[in-house]
Amino acid sequence: MTRARQRILILALIATGLLLAGLFGLRSLHAYREFRAHRPPPAFSADSQTVETNVGLIRGWMTIPFIAKMYQVPPAVLYKALGIPSQGNRDKSLKRLNEEYFPKVPKFTETTIQAILLANIEIPTPTFAPMPVP
Amino acid sequence: MSDFLLTQVINYGAPFLGAVVFFGALGIPFPGTLIVIAVGAFCKQGFLSWHTTGLIAWTCVVLGDCLSYAMGYYAREPVLRRLGGSDKWIKAENLFQHWGGMSVFLTRFLITGMAVPVNLLAGTGNLSFRRFLAYDLSGEAIWIFGYGGLGYLFGTQWETVSTFLNNVSGFLLGIIILAIGIWLALTVLRKNEETKEQVPDI
Repeated sequence: MTRARQRILILALIATGLLLAGLFGLRSLHAYREFRAHRPPPAFSADSQTVETNVGLIRGWMTIPFIAKMYQVPPAVLYKALGIPSQGNRDKSLKRLNEEYFPKVPKFTETTIQAILLANIEIPTPTFAPMPVP
Repeated sequence: MSDFLLTQVINYGAPFLGAVVFFGALGIPFPGTLIVIAVGAFCKQGFLSWHTTGLIAWTCVVLGDCLSYAMGYYAREPVLRRLGGSDKWIKAENLFQHWGGMSVFLTRFLITGMAVPVNLLAGTGNLSFRRFLAYDLSGEAIWIFGYGGLGYLFGTQWETVSTFLNNVSGFLLGIIILAIGIWLALTVLRKNEETKEQVPDI
């Protein structure tokens, strides 16, 4: 390898390394802040029976049966809300259902499912100890 | 790509995950870490059983690694024909004999982007299969059960964990490339100074 090529290789390695380390370092820092903000749920409530109530977690890759189980809502309710048959649509993601049935309205399936879930899931209300009467 | 894979994982479960990690180990650029963390969360939500899924994924990824090791092993002959006798090759082979096991172990879960090149190098560089397998099994166990465990622990918030770990992996890769660049620069500088010293003063 000639000296000039050697120099180019070394410079390219250092520049790529700096670029990757800088870029991912900053992204790691940002992600770490988010990571710290999201503490894992307490161990005793970490069973699979816990009902999810945050509808902001709905994503385009999810399927209707998956969402139904996650939020413990009958799948039929979700199919009915979208006005589509369950047959042949069980394996399809929300994104794909949107492309097939509602191509003119972006994210229609996601928004509708979120609205239906909000109306159907029971959000547990916090219980307070009675105030001591003086 | 990751959206499609996530949908298929919830549709077909552990066998699909097995296929993803197997082909990922052969060099197909699937977002393996993201899928493993997501599957951990799916296990917590009760969609998959963590022990069966974990065992299938672990077996498949190790099989994929062994296959890419074999590719390197059978490519050894042509590589040796070209470079075999050279000092640099012998030096590189000795270096890999010394550090190979640890690099196999660390690239399973920490710098996953380097896993396939390391598998090929391990096969070509004559790292014994037993040593490779021992380091591979332990490293992949951390990847599957450790990362999957994080997904299980964080449940529906698995995306945050995945973003963080992917960025850390990219950062480490950057640091390693930078370190290699600096090491090469220092070696070249040292050689240049030695050559200058050898030239007699007139």
